[in-house]
Amino acid sequence: MVAQNIFFGIIAFVMVVAALRVVTTKNIVHAALYLVIVLAGVAAQFILTGAEFVGVTQILVYIGAVVVLFLFGIMLTRARIGREVEVDNEKRWLAGLVALVLFAVMSFALVDAFEDSRIESVSGGTPQLTSEVSDAIFKDYLIPFEAASFLLLAALIGAIVVARRE
Amino acid sequence: MGDPLYAGGIGLTVVLVTLLKVLVTFVLLLVATMFMVWFERKIVADMQHRIGPNRAGPWGLLQTLADGTKLFFKEDLLPDRADRIVFRLAPVLAVVPAFLAFAIVPIGGNFAEGGTVSMFGRETFLQLADPPVGVLFFLAMSGIGVYGVMLAGWSSGSKYPLLGGVRATAQIVSYEAALGLSLASVILVNGTLSTHQIVAEQAGAGFGGIIPNWNLVVTGVVPAIIFLIAGTAELNRPPFDLVEAEQELVGGFNTEYSSIRFALFFLAEFMNTVTMSALVVTLFLGGPSGPVWGPEPVRTWFFPIFWFLLKLVVFLFVFVWFRGTLPRLRYDQLMDLGWKALIPLALGWFLLLGAVRVARNEGWNLVVTFGAITVVVVVAVTLLNLSLRAAQRQRLADAEVNA
Amino acid sequence: MGHYLPIVALAVLAVLFAGLSFLASRLLAPRRPTPQKSAPYESGIIPGKEPPRRFPVRFSLVAMIFIVFDIEVVFLYPWAMVHAELGLFGIVAIAIFSASVFESFLYLLSKGVLEWGPIQRVQRPHLVGAHRTAESTIRRVGLEGRDRPAEQRILVESGIASHAVEPAASAAGGH
Repeated sequence: MVAQNIFFGIIAFVMVVAALRVVTTKNIVHAALYLVIVLAGVAAQFILTGAEFVGVTQILVYIGAVVVLFLFGIMLTRARIGREVEVDNEKRWLAGLVALVLFAVMSFALVDAFEDSRIESVSGGTPQLTSEVSDAIFKDYLIPFEAASFLLLAALIGAIVVARRE
Repeated sequence: MGDPLYAGGIGLTVVLVTLLKVLVTFVLLLVATMFMVWFERKIVADMQHRIGPNRAGPWGLLQTLADGTKLFFKEDLLPDRADRIVFRLAPVLAVVPAFLAFAIVPIGGNFAEGGTVSMFGRETFLQLADPPVGVLFFLAMSGIGVYGVMLAGWSSGSKYPLLGGVRATAQIVSYEAALGLSLASVILVNGTLSTHQIVAEQAGAGFGGIIPNWNLVVTGVVPAIIFLIAGTAELNRPPFDLVEAEQELVGGFNTEYSSIRFALFFLAEFMNTVTMSALVVTLFLGGPSGPVWGPEPVRTWFFPIFWFLLKLVVFLFVFVWFRGTLPRLRYDQLMDLGWKALIPLALGWFLLLGAVRVARNEGWNLVVTFGAITVVVVVAVTLLNLSLRAAQRQRLADAEVNA
Repeated sequence: MGHYLPIVALAVLAVLFAGLSFLASRLLAPRRPTPQKSAPYESGIIPGKEPPRRFPVRFSLVAMIFIVFDIEVVFLYPWAMVHAELGLFGIVAIAIFSASVFESFLYLLSKGVLEWGPIQRVQRPHLVGAHRTAESTIRRVGLEGRDRPAEQRILVESGIASHAVEPAASAAGGH
């Protein structure tokens, strides 16, 4: 447990530093790469708490697909290679406010949901099996699961409508 | 469940055995890569009626080592317009996931008796790690592998690498979807994501005691073929090597790279080839499982490793054979094959296999089940065709307007 | 999470390997940069044009559809693992999910997002068809050195060159 807490601390520290660099770096590609560090940290935290399926999925979907899309979008349009890209920081106060509100809401939700329960008792002290994830998806969270597919449909149609001229 | 090595707590022996396995995996992968480079050059030379490397060492075996050493002494150029940090980072991002993906491959162990070997008095799996989500781990690593190519292309500050990088990323990403979908069929029949258990499920006698119980047969060949094609494309190997189509892109994403940085990209590419072959063997051909005879060390050590290496070399040869035989695809053909053929086919096959298995479990009426499946397949194929035709019409209309 | 520690160890080893290679290269390799060497490589031509600033939006849409399929794969695996227990219910659940993903795929296809090549017009050369004979092929490849009047006669008789081609025109068009 002590070792896990130490690892948690180290990873959390790296994540916070990387997250700050995401919003302070001047180069937009570097920002995306710092975001990768943050997301990898999230995956590592998931694995550390025994949620392996979620952790590896985090790498697969967020690092392997979502940030690839970001970088692709950047590469394909605005990033002049080899030069610093001036990132627009004009709305930093508004962004800071949004971040603060988000932090408050999420902290409240987490504290409200888990109160003072510890990680070991959440996952029963043993790593979460993938079949448990399956059971959760198809028994408790079936409606969100199907809703996710419609969300994907909507997202894709949106992307095409935005991208195509006519 | 899990490697028995860690069942009894972690002591000094366990740590030493683990470190030994890490070192062996590392060295084995490097040696296998060296062998693969030599093997490819030699076989392609044979196919083209040349001799191939024959100077360094017996049959030119040490040629790769010589080439690698030479690259250490070459000037390392850093282009003026490159993004210095990302340019230096890209080769590392290519080579690390290439190493890690191999960690989940079982390379030995007698699967008739639990798939373990005895090492310093401890039972252990002959694979570096067996996470319960091994297959997803492999997909995640190949997903990270994209970064090396993409960032190398972008950070070089030169147009051909950029074009090569963009092309390569779109290609890798497209075929990764097909790769994941074809793997779903394996998970369906084996009911696990752990590579060790997937191999264990395939061990033992299959149909009639003659045909092995391999996933190749159990999943019905199609997923294996899709996996092999998608894997070749994922590796950017011929006939899908548009990334480095020399006639169009000079050298592709690594044009600006020289010296050891280039060597790392080269190494990563061949390591990925070895890993991909090993995965085909693990997922579809029963990995190290096979008939074993003889006394203890021969039975648990020699035969499984022998079977694994034999199957591995077969697929390494297949990759070289592709290169020696098939001409490079055009980019539109590449994309069409991936999106319009492999992905719908892999998804359809997976759902079909799932439906058939559930129907068999629940004892549904066969005629009704197959009738329903046929209707669904016909509807899906018709819709696909209609969409393709609609796209074609739209493009023709656009062309008339523009003309 | 014992079984991830060997993977972490291998990652450390891989990074060390890369780092040591860079170090060795730095020590062993010469370092004599010139403006020519560090200019963008274009096969010896002095680079004139800037690299393209914008690429076809298609590439970006490919990455987008990949996310959709990636998430689909991630959801298919849990079902694949427990499909036996879920029975009909599971089949229906996964069928609805797949149908909606398939639908987005169809929309994508019908919008022509995945059409990459040049437009393929179906062009039917009027001489290639059911009437195609050795004589018609001769007319297509050229008439030099052939007995023209006889050629013309055969073509008209067989009903292929109904709009009797001028000898000069057919000779010119033959190449």
